[in-house]
Amino acid sequence: MTLTFENVSLRFPGGAGVHELSFEVTSGEIVALVGLNGAGKTTLMRLTLGMLRPHRGIVRLFGHPLRGLPPARWAEVGALIEVPLAYPELTVRENLRIACLLRGSDPSCVQEAVSRWRLAPVADRRFHRLSLGNRQRTGLAVALQHRPRLIVLDEPGNALDPASVIVLRDHLTEQARDGAAILVSSHHLDEVARIADRILLMNAGQLIGELDPAGRDLERVFFERIRVNDEQRATEGEPTP
Amino acid sequence: MNAAIRVEARKLARSRVGMIGSLSLVAGTLAMLGGITAATASGNPDLIAKAGPAAALDWSGLLSSTAQVTAAGGLLGSGVVLTWMFGREFADGTITGLFALPVSRARIALAKLTAYAAWVLAVNLILTLGLLILGILLGYGIPTADAWAGLGRQCVLGVLSGAIATPVAWVATLTRSLLAGVGCAIGLVLVTQVAVLAGAGGWMPLAAPALWAMSNGTAVTDLQLALALGAALTFAALTCVSWARLQLNR
Repeated sequence: MTLTFENVSLRFPGGAGVHELSFEVTSGEIVALVGLNGAGKTTLMRLTLGMLRPHRGIVRLFGHPLRGLPPARWAEVGALIEVPLAYPELTVRENLRIACLLRGSDPSCVQEAVSRWRLAPVADRRFHRLSLGNRQRTGLAVALQHRPRLIVLDEPGNALDPASVIVLRDHLTEQARDGAAILVSSHHLDEVARIADRILLMNAGQLIGELDPAGRDLERVFFERIRVNDEQRATEGEPTP
Repeated sequence: MNAAIRVEARKLARSRVGMIGSLSLVAGTLAMLGGITAATASGNPDLIAKAGPAAALDWSGLLSSTAQVTAAGGLLGSGVVLTWMFGREFADGTITGLFALPVSRARIALAKLTAYAAWVLAVNLILTLGLLILGILLGYGIPTADAWAGLGRQCVLGVLSGAIATPVAWVATLTRSLLAGVGCAIGLVLVTQVAVLAGAGGWMPLAAPALWAMSNGTAVTDLQLALALGAALTFAALTCVSWARLQLNR
């Protein structure tokens, strides 16, 4: 099992957080995480990557509890959460190189990433001079160039043009075929339904079930499940976030 | 670790903050010294009275002026660059990318401090060389043995001024704020100046390097200087620990 959450809970000082999260992502599987804004998707991803430590429960990567994970194993993880590891004063190519250096990966992956993400025209341009879409493509290239075994992406389709969305979709499918475990959050239900093996539904800091990627009228089902969960929690006296 | 140092050095070398900080500390200091010398040479009695030993038109006066400028300007300039190196990760949001890497965050913090130390050393070596050229251009001749020793002390003062700025790295980390780090740098300068005026002497780690350089090494003991370095290393260690324990929970 590449990624496992076992009854993971975290409460922020204001009262928000995530509660009793349990799920797994196995090698070769693409799992999508969907939910409304503030549902806790980013918090879940931050817990996955050690940016937050749970108050209860265990997060396991490659079978190790996060705290006991040998540092070298992080080289097998690729992630993009909110802001890419890319510095405004460096060019696209330099940013790809420093990510490569920090992960100790083969430098040849930089040129491959430039080609795959069609970054050649802007490869020698400083990151702060890029359009939003090119920044996102650079961020994805930084996260994925070393062919990680676990991929965690938060809203990767943000600001991408349709051609880049196809590159992303093809890349993730290919990586999963090669054995990577992929966790991806998105608001675009149609998009995730195309690539996801499973869709986890999150609401108010809890995982409330799954959606069938092959199911019909996914959007209607999504909102209905959220509404039912909100009503259920209101009946049980839980606060609405 | 080497990879992290190379990355941090490249970020600093390519940044505007690094470039402007270097220029300010080298060209800015030399320009200010030129100005002080010109004003002294003009014979303005008020300025000469205020400048004290720095008003002498020789190596000793030049080195005394430089020590005064470095004690405040060097600390502030180095502090601003250091707070940027740490605070920018939070301001730019790039801190999220520094998780989930095979290089631990403590090592990344140490790499930042190492790159900073190399930068401080390089800037102060260049400043000292500039000072030597300026003195010769001003007609003070080839430095005497005392002047060479003074130039050496000036270089050490610059490096120690950079070292005692390390609390700003810790403050920028704890507050996740670049501006808080800048505020801390300003605070360090003020505390240093007040401590010197209040006669705190060499036991005040922030003031010890400047007092040492300005007194030709007589007013501060080696132990007191070592304490200043110890304080810098303590804050460097605290910064690394804070980075190791960092959580993005605010």
